[in-house]
Amino acid sequence: MKKIYEKPTINKIDFAMASKYGSPLKAQKIRTEIDGISVNELTQNYGSPLFVFSQRQIEEKYNTLYSAFSSRYPDIQFSWSYKTNYLNEICKVFHNLGSIAEVVSEFEYQKARALGVEGKDIIFNGPYKPKTDLKIAVQEGAKIHIDNLFELNDLEDIANELGIKIPVAVRINMDTGIYPAWSRFGFNYENGEAYEAVKRIYDGGKLFLVGIHTHIGTFMLDANAYKAATIKIMQLKEQVERDFNCDIEYIDLGGGFASKSNLKGIYQAAEVVVPTADDYAEAITNAIYELNKSEKLPKLYLETGRHLIDEAGYLLTSVWGYKRFPDGKKGYILDAGVNLLYTSTWYNFNIELDRRYDGDNEPSVLNGPLCMNIDVIEENLMLPPLNRGSILTISPVGAYNYTQAMQFIRYKPAVVLIDKGGNAKIIKEIDDLETVNYKEI
Amino acid sequence: MLRYKALIYNILRPYGAILFLNNKFAGLILLAITFINPSVAVSGTVAVIFTIIFAELIEIKEEYLSHGFYIYNSLLVGMGIGYIFAPSITSMALVAIASAFTFMFSFMLNRLFSAYKIPILSLPFSIVTMFVYLASLKYSALISTLVNNATIYDIEVPLILSGFLKSFGTIFFLPNNIAGALMLLVVLNFSRIVFIMAIVGFYFGVLIHSFLIGSYEQALSNPYAFNYILVAIALCGIFLLPTIKNFLLSLIGVAISVILVDAIGILFNYYAIPVFTIPFNLTVIVFIFILSIIYYKEFNYNIKDTPEESLSNYLSNIFRFGKVYTKISLPFSGEWVVYQGFNDKWTHKGKYKYAYDFVKKKNGKTYEGDELYAANYYCFGESILSPVSGYVIDCRHDLVDNIIGEVDRVNNWGNYIIIKSDLGFFIEISHIMQYSLSVKAGDYIKVNEIVAKCGNSGYSPEPHIHIQVQDLGVIGAFTREFCFTEYYKDNELIFNSLPKKDETISSVIIDKSISSRLVFILDDIFKYAVFKDNKRIDEIEFVVKMNQTSEFYFEDKDKNQLYFYNDATQFYFYNYIGGDSHLKWLFILLPRIPFINKNGIEYQDYLPVNLVKDRLGVITTLLISTIKKDYYKTIKRYKYYSNKILSDNGEVVLEPLKKGFVKIKYKNIKLTRIN
Repeated sequence: MKKIYEKPTINKIDFAMASKYGSPLKAQKIRTEIDGISVNELTQNYGSPLFVFSQRQIEEKYNTLYSAFSSRYPDIQFSWSYKTNYLNEICKVFHNLGSIAEVVSEFEYQKARALGVEGKDIIFNGPYKPKTDLKIAVQEGAKIHIDNLFELNDLEDIANELGIKIPVAVRINMDTGIYPAWSRFGFNYENGEAYEAVKRIYDGGKLFLVGIHTHIGTFMLDANAYKAATIKIMQLKEQVERDFNCDIEYIDLGGGFASKSNLKGIYQAAEVVVPTADDYAEAITNAIYELNKSEKLPKLYLETGRHLIDEAGYLLTSVWGYKRFPDGKKGYILDAGVNLLYTSTWYNFNIELDRRYDGDNEPSVLNGPLCMNIDVIEENLMLPPLNRGSILTISPVGAYNYTQAMQFIRYKPAVVLIDKGGNAKIIKEIDDLETVNYKEI
Repeated sequence: MLRYKALIYNILRPYGAILFLNNKFAGLILLAITFINPSVAVSGTVAVIFTIIFAELIEIKEEYLSHGFYIYNSLLVGMGIGYIFAPSITSMALVAIASAFTFMFSFMLNRLFSAYKIPILSLPFSIVTMFVYLASLKYSALISTLVNNATIYDIEVPLILSGFLKSFGTIFFLPNNIAGALMLLVVLNFSRIVFIMAIVGFYFGVLIHSFLIGSYEQALSNPYAFNYILVAIALCGIFLLPTIKNFLLSLIGVAISVILVDAIGILFNYYAIPVFTIPFNLTVIVFIFILSIIYYKEFNYNIKDTPEESLSNYLSNIFRFGKVYTKISLPFSGEWVVYQGFNDKWTHKGKYKYAYDFVKKKNGKTYEGDELYAANYYCFGESILSPVSGYVIDCRHDLVDNIIGEVDRVNNWGNYIIIKSDLGFFIEISHIMQYSLSVKAGDYIKVNEIVAKCGNSGYSPEPHIHIQVQDLGVIGAFTREFCFTEYYKDNELIFNSLPKKDETISSVIIDKSISSRLVFILDDIFKYAVFKDNKRIDEIEFVVKMNQTSEFYFEDKDKNQLYFYNDATQFYFYNYIGGDSHLKWLFILLPRIPFINKNGIEYQDYLPVNLVKDRLGVITTLLISTIKKDYYKTIKRYKYYSNKILSDNGEVVLEPLKKGFVKIKYKNIKLTRIN
């Protein structure tokens, strides 16, 4: 084979970089395929950039987390967090696995309904619930999780209008010893606001409480925070059941379980710092068992999103060109940038090559296609010399990237789902001018 | 009233105990038989009564008396005195003195012997009677009452038979064919195994003896040949289980006792006293001493009323709960593969052979992507769960995880944790991930609790969990045999077993909501309406009770008792006493409830033979089981499906929210909980 000419470069050798793991000048991370389909074949068939999801990985992750809970606790229900990834086919995978839907807006609510999810199988969360949509949700029997007193008043109005008593849940926030404490959603536990809200519900006489919900944060690396949260929820449950003679059917611990991705600023491997499914399950279920005072155990809802989907999503992108920057770094232009990778702000992605490349690694910058100075995916990555057309696989990108991807400068890309049989199928086509111009006058 | 009952029982019990039978009717019949020689009968009874009076005098606790051997030694002493002296004031005084002494002597010997887990048998009797006989040579007042101890009523039978019958009778100081025959019938009724061993022991002993002394007639009429009978029964049925191996041991024991009988006989003849049961005691004590110290496998650790019951209990236990005493849960959750088992080809060798290694695999591979990165291994970073409840006594997690392919030869064990189980043994888990321990030395942890993450430190070529059980709580201590309490293989729940190499298994995580629904407290009452062919015919209740040894059971109004136990991983029934009843069916329908909540899981269990067979069936099964243990097995299959345990006999529905069982269904009977 003819050797490709590479312009010689001079690199400063940093001995600190050479470790027992070998020379960083040689190590290459390679991924040739996803679930048996070569990455080159995928981009040839469906274009580049391309989001790829693995149904096998979604189901494995789901089953692992589900059995971690169901083996310890008899009444567990997962609820798919729509905002994490609401591509229709992805939602369907979760609904087929047994998840109900967790939505945080009228749009997500409508999406779930359009997918055939019944009202009673939708948890309606979020700080902003338009009154007309709230009314529809009430009529359809959705589980309403009250965020604030204005919403409580709205619900009482709706109860009057409909002439019914509405079953509701309250969202509470609390100090679980982690920073930052999410205190902007729901009612605070420690200062008594949560209890007052329940009292307000019973004073009004239009609503009755069936659930308590909290969501302590996101990407929680300490399973014990869930223990603290569960303890507080169970304490509140006992208190309000006693004081208002009600029967709290369920508690909802929200989501926030971490995925195995590398957060910027954390230098240990994800396997080391990220709690396992068992860690979360044990923390939560043990606390319920320890604190349950009533004869009946509450149903446990979880709204896990990121943990279930993040690692099952990949973004394939191609090298469009490269140049040498004045500081000596090699700069690659890729066809995917921060417009598609919202989480690049806080993740160091796992970036893998489609094959082994000749030559030593050198510090490289990965830039996207945007004509914007901020379009940087990686500022300093050791890569061998790549060619135009080299495919890079970026992961994990299953959570929050597609839903938050911007239609900005370029069209939003296509999405492929590889089913359990190893067959790729397109679940969203690439946008075109018509999609972008739709509804514009 | 209760006290009188206990008193009568205390009087009758020693009679049965002499023939190793724990049954008041056996005692009553044997008492009656002693009247063939009224002198023996009266002295014996008086001895028992004096002993009880003496025990009352020193206000000894009731439970001491319930150990038959304190009194049966006195009974033997009494009968021994009655055998040579007719009842008189003087002889009764002698009986009284001897009984008090025998009682205290028995108590003392028992205390001393129990330190070595050996029984006193009738050693106190032999020693005390020896003293009494020696002393009585001087008591001229008694000489006049010397009786001719040949009993009046007897029948003539050939020597070959009469030798045996008389020997058997001699156990009760009744060298009489009728007494021997009657006693043999009592034994036959209560235990076939004792019956067979009596015959085998006697004739084998006589065979050996006649071979040694050259005269079978002399051997047959040896007055001390009853020692052979006692040795044979004790070593194959009572202290050792009635099995083929123990049958051979008992023959060896009988042969030894032949020599002892002759040797002691020569010595004792010098003072004109009989050898009593000294050969029997010596032989059996020697056997038990060694066999209990070496934890002999077919030792009878739980002596029941008859050898048959002991065997049934033993077989039922090993089939249901495993032969290995040391049981632990799996140290992980989810599906794993056995990488190395016991005595395996790489590192599980010699003193370290009782260890297991586990990895995770997908499509036959333990890693995904580049095999050089530990993080690419499926098991790297997975939770390690405590396999027992106990204290963490030692641990470290400062060592780095190796690069794949390199091993740390200095710190073989890598990062590790040692847990002292509540049951006394130690668990060691190795190759833990650096800085992943979530517990520290001194912490108390429960089974299934997460303690660390799987890593690749120490002598570990790739990430895996290494687990072993040790007798000592130090790193590098020798390993000891164990098995896993339960695990899933596909849809089958397997108990007390060891997965094979390369086998894929899943661990069982305890659902505490199920275990908490099966905690039954004293005096809990469960009421049921009974339906037959859907017609309500009765109303019954099960009450939770506890016996003197703190065993819990359900009892119905007919006093049928169903014993249960609730351990860390499962609830099970283990014993049933009574006739045909709903409680008996509950045992058949639900011998155990694993604390799982996984629909479609199936498992098998073995039922005690007396639950499923009639009396004749039980007798034959147990007789055959002495030779072929597997014959005892009565396998039943069960399936768990959403709070129900199903089998071909019927089903039991567990209460989803509260304690107990909602429905019990078998044949055309249905019980529905009403309280």
